[in-house]
Amino acid sequence: MNIFTEKLKEVIFSILPITIIVLILSVTLTPLEAPLIIRFLIGAFLIILGLSFFLIGVDIGVTPLGSVMGSTLAKTNKLWIVIAAGFILGFFISIAEPGLIVLANQVGLVTSGQISSISILIVVSIGMAIMLALGFARIVFNVPLYKVLTILYGLTFILALFASSEFLAISFDASGATTGVLAVPFILALAIGVSKLKKDSKASEKDSFGLVAITSVGAIMSVIIMSILSKTNEFSGNIESNTPELTTIMGPFIQIIPAILRESFFALSPLLIILLVLQKISFKLSKKAFAKMLKGFVYTFVGLLIFLVGVNAGFMDVGSVIGYSLASLDNKFYLIIMGFILGIVTILAEPAVYILTNQIEDVTSGYVKRKAVLIALSIGVGLAVALSMLRIIVPGIQLWYYLLPGYLISIVMTYFVPKLFVGIAFDAGGVATGPMTATFILAFTQGAAEAIEGASILIDGFGMIATVALTPIITLQILGFIFNLKSKKGGILKNE
Amino acid sequence: MNSSTNYIVHELLCLIVSRGLGSKVIKCAKQNGITGGTIFLGKGTIRNPILEFLDLAEARKEIVLMVAEQTIAYAGLEALNKKFNFNKPNHGIAFSTSVLNIFGAKNLTSNDTKESRGVENPMYNIIFVIVDRGNAESVVEAAKKAGSRGATIVNARGSGIHETSKLFAMEIEPEKEIVLIISENHLTESISSSIRDELQIDEPGNGIIFIQDVNKTYGLY
Repeated sequence: MNIFTEKLKEVIFSILPITIIVLILSVTLTPLEAPLIIRFLIGAFLIILGLSFFLIGVDIGVTPLGSVMGSTLAKTNKLWIVIAAGFILGFFISIAEPGLIVLANQVGLVTSGQISSISILIVVSIGMAIMLALGFARIVFNVPLYKVLTILYGLTFILALFASSEFLAISFDASGATTGVLAVPFILALAIGVSKLKKDSKASEKDSFGLVAITSVGAIMSVIIMSILSKTNEFSGNIESNTPELTTIMGPFIQIIPAILRESFFALSPLLIILLVLQKISFKLSKKAFAKMLKGFVYTFVGLLIFLVGVNAGFMDVGSVIGYSLASLDNKFYLIIMGFILGIVTILAEPAVYILTNQIEDVTSGYVKRKAVLIALSIGVGLAVALSMLRIIVPGIQLWYYLLPGYLISIVMTYFVPKLFVGIAFDAGGVATGPMTATFILAFTQGAAEAIEGASILIDGFGMIATVALTPIITLQILGFIFNLKSKKGGILKNE
Repeated sequence: MNSSTNYIVHELLCLIVSRGLGSKVIKCAKQNGITGGTIFLGKGTIRNPILEFLDLAEARKEIVLMVAEQTIAYAGLEALNKKFNFNKPNHGIAFSTSVLNIFGAKNLTSNDTKESRGVENPMYNIIFVIVDRGNAESVVEAAKKAGSRGATIVNARGSGIHETSKLFAMEIEPEKEIVLIISENHLTESISSSIRDELQIDEPGNGIIFIQDVNKTYGLY
């Protein structure tokens, strides 16, 4: 079992569920046309291939880079260097994030240019930069994560009082958009690198997680602040949903390649620049280690390219067609149930989930098993998608009906669950909102919103990602609770 | 401590298997009378020029340590071999070495440290201390007090007879730390007693210590 076959096997098992569910749907509730199904299957094949390459690349390129970077920073032992580096890293990772660029363009569109996309990009990147620096400072100063999160979310909610409800949805979605498929593994590895050098093993384990969470709050806050300052409370524009054109089978795949190429290259470029510059200045890795990292970057790039082409050209249209047909059925119950099931199977195919579960296993030496985390995560995302469907069906439900109690519960729970799980849970929120959710589930949601009277694609489309980012925080903390109960020492069963 | 003439011999089983199989190994071992085990993570290599060029020649491994009385250990090893097919290539490896002394496992009574039965009397012993996560530092402190020169800490997970809960049909194996100390013969006794006192190893559920002979060392001074 070498690393490639091992990864391939893992990936196949994670893509199979969603493929099977869609195929079952296509012959039962939502008949799909043959070209669409063939495209979906080609997409699934590309995703399997791309994800395998991508994960290996992250394993030998991105993660080691983050770890080396983190420990190099911690070894400098100068606080200002750590903070400054956190700021610079945060800014550059975020500004190159494809998900954020898409979000910025959407915001520009719906506010008819009152908030330009470039200003969103810069402000959110600054927000993330400040928070990454703060997250580093937290690890260095040993401030418990739950206290930091309480303060940050407290501030966010005070700010939220002044924002319009449409903008709330966008700003909470921003947290999902900014923690992209490359930023997450890099930030996770950074945190582990910085905290590895702590002498106290328990503290170092606790501090290995939570940095992704702190960084994503930065994105939420900066969008809210922008909307308050620019006094935009009205949505004027509208987004037209993309109706699938059934042209040729391979056409969409070919068409999309140039855009995806650019996207993948942009996403990877800041990390590559960091590697090249720091290798010259401070890392001084051996030739072999350096070459290995570079190879890792090549794998990451190729994998990301293939994966994104598969998702965008193969899965997206199927998602919106399924959403539309399910929502058109008379019995709306199907939509909620299918939303739940699709949420469960989609999250398994999310790249960053793999990286997170692997890191958790490595940091805890396998005490917190991947399967346990996956189950909790799947249930969380399934619930989130089901709740989003409910919001589409029942027009009266506002997004904040979910977010306010949800985050309150999450924050209160942090005071009671084992501290290791606090970091894991809040990081998982950022991990759950990757490319798979942002394309397939988003298309599904928008398709459903299109079919239902009185639902707006714009308002209901935004907010789904925010819900997906929230629910895993609760389910994973519950998991932590269970783990804590089950790890208590029992007595000896039989006395001799 | 029963100083009977027919003393009990313990064996340390060490198995290196693919990532994810460690828990299954312990489960199978427990069915065969071995009381518990400790697992830590490692990386192994694969010899294959093509994979090496592509930098894919790495496999994630788990290393499992278990101590048991000799006859049980051998029977357990036999059963494990049947189940995991170590005799086939790429199915992992398993080996056993003898243990000099063990503390902290109630059902494994040990004799006082005896002179080794080898031909030459080795100068050094290796002391393995397995404790709950977070206690390794105090083990190192206690060892230093008794004259040890240093120690190495490995993160691990494990389950003894005290930890038997399940979640979604998965065993829960709480986190542990393994402390490795190489000590000169005449210090072994005092180092292990110091750790035993400090961490109350003889109380159930506080960890175990076992000691092995070391035949050759380099780099110690």
